[in-house]
Amino acid sequence: MMRKTVTTKLLGSMRGFPSHRMNYAVNAVARELIKSRELEKDELRPLYMDFQATTPMDPRVLDAMLPYQVNYYGNPHSRTHAYGWESESAMEKARKQVADLIAADPREIVFTSGATESNNMSIKGVARFYKSKKKHVITTQTEHKCVLDSCRVLEAEGFDITYLPVKTNGLVDLQLLEETIRQDTSLVSVMTVNNEIGVRQPVEDIGRICRSRNVFFHTDAAQAVGKIPINVSDWKVDLMSISGHKIYGPKGVGALYVRRRPRVRMEPLQNGGGQERGLRSGTVPTPLAVGLGAACDIAQQELEYDHSRVSMLANRLVRKIMSEIPDVVMNGDPEQRYPGCINLSFAYVEGESLLMALKDVALSSGSACTSASLEPSYVLRAIGTDEDLAHSSIRFGIGRFSTEAEVDYTADKCIQQVKRLREMSPLWEMVQEGIDLKSIKWTQH
Amino acid sequence: MSVASASIQFFTRLLRYRTKCAVPFHAASRILISPYLPQVFGGNKVLLGTCAQPLRQSRQQMAHRQQSWGQICRDRLAETGSLRSEEKVTVYFINRDGRKITTSSAKGDSLLDLVVEQNLDIEGFGACEGTLACSTCHVILDQKVYNQLGPITDEENDMLDLAFGLTDTSRLGCQVCLSRDLEGITVRVPDGVNDMRRSDDAGPTL
Repeated sequence: MMRKTVTTKLLGSMRGFPSHRMNYAVNAVARELIKSRELEKDELRPLYMDFQATTPMDPRVLDAMLPYQVNYYGNPHSRTHAYGWESESAMEKARKQVADLIAADPREIVFTSGATESNNMSIKGVARFYKSKKKHVITTQTEHKCVLDSCRVLEAEGFDITYLPVKTNGLVDLQLLEETIRQDTSLVSVMTVNNEIGVRQPVEDIGRICRSRNVFFHTDAAQAVGKIPINVSDWKVDLMSISGHKIYGPKGVGALYVRRRPRVRMEPLQNGGGQERGLRSGTVPTPLAVGLGAACDIAQQELEYDHSRVSMLANRLVRKIMSEIPDVVMNGDPEQRYPGCINLSFAYVEGESLLMALKDVALSSGSACTSASLEPSYVLRAIGTDEDLAHSSIRFGIGRFSTEAEVDYTADKCIQQVKRLREMSPLWEMVQEGIDLKSIKWTQH
Repeated sequence: MSVASASIQFFTRLLRYRTKCAVPFHAASRILISPYLPQVFGGNKVLLGTCAQPLRQSRQQMAHRQQSWGQICRDRLAETGSLRSEEKVTVYFINRDGRKITTSSAKGDSLLDLVVEQNLDIEGFGACEGTLACSTCHVILDQKVYNQLGPITDEENDMLDLAFGLTDTSRLGCQVCLSRDLEGITVRVPDGVNDMRRSDDAGPTL
């Protein structure tokens, strides 16, 4: 074990090595080491600092859901008896709570199984509905995997997709977007807050451009809803994806906002009993919908407080780390961002090694979906981060239930471990001696 | 044509006659129609679960709707100058089987009026009598005609959402009013209809 660790540290710190075989070996060793395992008896669970992956459910949400898990079990679409009616009214109340959070009409909310389904529905649905006349869809390179993959599917069906590059701060170039819109563009899909680097796209401007060019605008707001104030009318958003488990609600539920005026038409992915205006057939899971509604309601009440608290904690973390260790880069725009998602690159340190060293804090090097692959994040590559820096990045997620003590502990531990790993790193040593790493020609043995 | 749909068409025709002539609802027809009310208004959002509602209430609601519909028709005719315009507008229907039907109707009539008056053989057309409670009079227009007709109300859009084989130039026939500009338009009838009366037969909720 010890020997293996040392090998990883050494190999890991030599990232940028041109040998693919060597990289593969590093990956294999690292994968071996961060393999999932059960916690040992009496071992404490790590601190939770990964609020972008998911959030713990707010107890108030659970309270709202429980009756519908046990007593009120009717099918909300049953119209002939009281069991159905009580479930239906609970579902409609939840729909209104979701709508209120984003300043929409309850009739514009469709319950889904989560943001992935909402994204799939809106991208494939809108593109396919208008396919006879419009064949072009625009998205960005930093979107969530489910958006990019939906676009790939459309590409296979014969659609033309533009994957817009982003600027080095992670934001979309509005002028480029405007130039990219064509006569046959049916949809533009740009996420509100990025899940890896936390940058907030200029959604209002994109909405304005899209409306003026008569193109539908979809935004994946899974990381933004309940965290920043949202008004779909001001933003001129036509479709918006919402996730339950990112806002302290239950997992397995989400919603899609579909604008009524001007009407957005889409081909449903799922056909059947015609529930949810025929857009998403299938019985709505009442307890989950109620949970999502309650989570939205709480998020609305706590939005201001949560935001200022999260900002305060995030500042505390960043300031502490930045003041103690040099060569730390914050990925993404420093201003246009959601403060609770901090992505830092620690130069000359391998991200996976750092994650292992910080095993009593639950962190991730990027999005949970890609964390198994050990590939550097495509989001970081898209914003032009060096391969080395992309490999050394860690995402800190701060949320409603984070405490000052947790943030302080994480910061201290992080500082200590980065220093330790750098001391072991030959690259760091070379940099200290004033050697420019870029000038080195690595040879393969 | 099945017996059920024949009888429904009969009552729809009866209702239409009443609307046109503004004759007070005849007691006998009321008794005859009442068992069909849940069917005729099966697609109505307001009346969903009609079976549970007292009949009197739905009848009142219907009477109210029809009154306003009558008013709309009179307004339309007033716009065209005379109470019964003699001017005819020609419309070509392409039916489900692909056959082309050439027909014409008075200016101010809706496409639904035309289908009912000319007794065109389009199965299941106009179940709710133009009360914006179903999508059975769904028709597909040419892009040019569609643009010409101008904006669509939210209520019509809501019903269109439920239509079978929706396209981006779909309209409800009951909401398209014939005018001189629409002379010679081609109207395509989609392949199927989503008719609540049929899904009622399918049994209880899933």
